[in-house]
Amino acid sequence: MSRSVGRAHRLAQPRRARVEADPVDGRPLTVGERAVDAVRESWLVEDRWWNGSPIRRRYWEVVTTCGRDLEIFHDLRGGSWFVQR
Amino acid sequence: MFVSIVCVLLPRFELAVAAGDREELLREPAALAPEPGREARVGEASPAAEAFGIHAGIPLGEALARCPSLRLIPPDPAGVADRWERLLVRLESIGAAVEPERPGLVCFDARGLLRLHGGSLERLLDAARRALRQSARFGVGPSRFCAFAAASRARARRPEIVAGGEAEAAAYLATRSVALLRGRYETAALPESLERLGIGTLGELAALPRPAVADRFGAAGLLAHELAHGRDGKLAPRQPPERLAEELELPEALSGVQLDRALELLVDRLLARRERRGRTLRTVVLSAALVEGGTWRDHVPFREALADAQRMRLALAQRLRLLPAPAERLRLAVERFGPPASDQRSLLDEAGAVRRSRLREAVRQARAAAGPDAALRVLAVEAESRVPERRVVLTPFE
Repeated sequence: MSRSVGRAHRLAQPRRARVEADPVDGRPLTVGERAVDAVRESWLVEDRWWNGSPIRRRYWEVVTTCGRDLEIFHDLRGGSWFVQR
Repeated sequence: MFVSIVCVLLPRFELAVAAGDREELLREPAALAPEPGREARVGEASPAAEAFGIHAGIPLGEALARCPSLRLIPPDPAGVADRWERLLVRLESIGAAVEPERPGLVCFDARGLLRLHGGSLERLLDAARRALRQSARFGVGPSRFCAFAAASRARARRPEIVAGGEAEAAAYLATRSVALLRGRYETAALPESLERLGIGTLGELAALPRPAVADRFGAAGLLAHELAHGRDGKLAPRQPPERLAEELELPEALSGVQLDRALELLVDRLLARRERRGRTLRTVVLSAALVEGGTWRDHVPFREALADAQRMRLALAQRLRLLPAPAERLRLAVERFGPPASDQRSLLDEAGAVRRSRLREAVRQARAAAGPDAALRVLAVEAESRVPERRVVLTPFE
């Protein structure tokens, strides 16, 4: 079937999240209503810098106090936080 | 515009059922204890406990810190489900197509029922009250949430009626506390945050710009904003269920292997019931009365509709392991039936071509019923991309 794949059908779309971060090192302290219990990993993604919509994100894999393992990122261009998994 | 939604509210229904005939408990600070194996949060609280700031959903530790003399009542989920089902059936007996929100809160549409009950709302409410045979609060309004807000202010024999449409509902709700949002599962967590931000009434919430609410509170905030404006989703009445259950009194409190034997017997008895008419079982409810008091209840949807006693026992035995204490009574009830057993064929034993053709037909039927996006598959388009949302997309099944 020849059907174009629209934006709405991508998986793992980032969803906006309420995150409070440490003002010094940017480490997330709370995600939504939950406090962050542990930070498992952090990495930087810089991509698409060769075209008009570059991506600069600081990713954090965190575990909240309810035991959920979340992958969140701070959009370093727009300043907002998103949850991706 | 005519008011259409009737909300019936039985305050502290779960607490009252769990307390049973120990009514004096409800005059003291008391709350439902957390269910075994669930998060340690208290359930519904008595008025005396509410005076200490205790309400359903707060952590157990916090509740005990606020009121050290708080009495914890073991929950009775099986008793609540039975009693609630009886009340719903009584409401259905007057012709109401009910949508239960949670035990103790149910709505139905008054339009279409008025002519059955003498043409006036008061007579319809009287009929509902007589059918219930117990004290309840009635609220009527143009939307479900407005009717719920009205019911929470109504008195036992004096219903609260909000006439008019969306604008009148918004005006009625404007002065009401945001704590009403606790009545809806989706918005239950919001009142605490709203109150911290100084937003005490639904009118103040409605006055906030919609994008600001969306940014701060997400989907739950948007729903609360809609509700505060007097708008709400349509009623989705339930299909009255067919009741089929088997129960076993256990001579002495059982656990372990003996309990497995009891389960085996229950499954065999249930499958042998004539009312099953050869149908498979899709979802069952396993419940038990515990020797320590209280009950335990687990809702078990099978991965596929079953009529095979052995497979059913295997699935249910896993759930029985979660029983928090020895049981003195065990009950197995059918919640939803599947197609007749003769329609069930093994997918794996058939030839590939037959299987593919059946799959194509299933996809076709699912799309006819739920639209073109009903059957999709995952396709890796940039599997190595460092940006997660670029890696895979959903695409039509074939």
